[in-house]
Amino acid sequence: MSAVEADVALVSSPQGVSRKPFIQRPGVLTTLFLMPAALLLVVFLIIPLSVTVWMSLSPNVLVKFQGHTFANYTYVFGRSYYIQVLWRTVRIAAETSSIAFLLGYPAALALRYVPPALSNAFVLAVTLPVLCGPLVVILGWMILLSRGGPLGSLVGDLQLLGSEWGIVVAQVHFLLPFVVLSLVNVLHGIPDELLDAARSLGAGPVRRFLRIILPLSLPGILSALIIGFSLATGAFVAPHYLGGPGDLTLATLISQFVMATFNGQLAATVSILLLAVMSAAIFTLTIVLSWKMRG
Amino acid sequence: MTGAWQRLGQVYLVAVIIFALGPAAVVVFDSVNSATSFPSPFEQFTLRWYAAVAGRPELFEAARNSLVVALLSASVASVIAFLAAYALSRSTFPGRHAVATALIGPLFIPEIVLGLAILQIAGAADLTLNLATLTAAHTLFVMPFALRLTLSGFSRFDFNLEWAARSLGASQGIALRRVVLPLVRPNLIAGFTLAAIMSFVNLPVSMFLTTPTTATLPVSVFAYMESRIDPMIAAVASLVLFVAVIATFFLDRVLKIRIIG
Repeated sequence: MSAVEADVALVSSPQGVSRKPFIQRPGVLTTLFLMPAALLLVVFLIIPLSVTVWMSLSPNVLVKFQGHTFANYTYVFGRSYYIQVLWRTVRIAAETSSIAFLLGYPAALALRYVPPALSNAFVLAVTLPVLCGPLVVILGWMILLSRGGPLGSLVGDLQLLGSEWGIVVAQVHFLLPFVVLSLVNVLHGIPDELLDAARSLGAGPVRRFLRIILPLSLPGILSALIIGFSLATGAFVAPHYLGGPGDLTLATLISQFVMATFNGQLAATVSILLLAVMSAAIFTLTIVLSWKMRG
Repeated sequence: MTGAWQRLGQVYLVAVIIFALGPAAVVVFDSVNSATSFPSPFEQFTLRWYAAVAGRPELFEAARNSLVVALLSASVASVIAFLAAYALSRSTFPGRHAVATALIGPLFIPEIVLGLAILQIAGAADLTLNLATLTAAHTLFVMPFALRLTLSGFSRFDFNLEWAARSLGASQGIALRRVVLPLVRPNLIAGFTLAAIMSFVNLPVSMFLTTPTTATLPVSVFAYMESRIDPMIAAVASLVLFVAVIATFFLDRVLKIRIIG
């Protein structure tokens, strides 16, 4: 198929030979090659998630009803305990993603101006926690944050381990690479000429930042906040191992329903709720920041 | 940028590097410290905690499970990602970006929700939880990582090269194997390495899907940590860190590929 199709595309292309890919619509080969990925997604994500949705509509030992209804959702929303868990999840995600953003933005900006050796070392250092995984990182934070530990004693009597702040510190640490690297792409795309022009017209560093760098980096800010917020909302390891028993989030609530109370239906309900919260947050951020980008 | 701002930026970056490496550094520190509990100041250099790891066959069993799942899921995910990235890069059909976004999608689903969904479909389909179910879940979880790196390899690939091979009489298969594959190989290897690492260290996806005999290394270490943390666990974590550091340098120095961004 592709030879004929390619000929047609080649002839109809204005410059004859372009550097662009030469197939203009999905051919047999394209469809065939996309099949395994599509199959993986359908069989191991879409069908399982549909089962989760179905489970969330099913009766269970705690919430008894006939057939399939939204009773599990009204049950969860009717209890202030679960509302608090929901609110805590959103609050921790908002705190961690904004702190990670505030720490990451200056770093991403500074990367524009430092020698390559330092910027390379920086990228390697911030990505290492992602690659070495929760086993290393969580154990490290457990030691650092414990009472009498290096950081625990630094902040005096403040008990960090087993508190919401313990979760926030570890979560910021984990989010940093995602935030920094999605900002770097945009910040490094801002041409020096723009800044030179502004400088030659008398704009100081603050004005150059506010009028050029900040507005032009809005797309990067959007993706940094979306990635940060969604990773933080769904995070399980830090809240479970660094938070106290009272610091339950939606993710740790799911694990409690599965491992402790064996209630798959309520675990499913909370999972769908978690996905809904994430989607709502991503949607809101996109709307707000794209409105800002236009304005 | 003036010199003062530049110096300030450098100091700030070094501070963030220290913050980023802090937890890993303290784990290594406590794994070679002879003090039996932590946190405690440095007493004496020792390797006895590493020797203690050798006396725990269940950890080796778990590490073997992790390795099998990581290599299998990363291999399958890399092949799927290569085919998808090739298809997405060579054609410009409308909706191409939507398809790419959908395939990267699992990255945005919380790992614990993925784990629960696979657990519930396995329950609904009456499947027993074994290394195959775990590998399937991990393949889904790591495929987007492999796909992103492979796609970025294809974004620099000139498809005229493939077209030239085809016009000189190479079959589609030959062109793919002799022209396309060698040119995107570094990205494929990088995608495989990242996928394998992300599978090897993962806890939330595996958590619901393992039984005592199929426990992965993170699952069994975290189960141990529920009751206590001791320097032996720090030694296990340091060994995992060692693997991650080697992988990082391999990606950065040998393949010269950045993994996130």
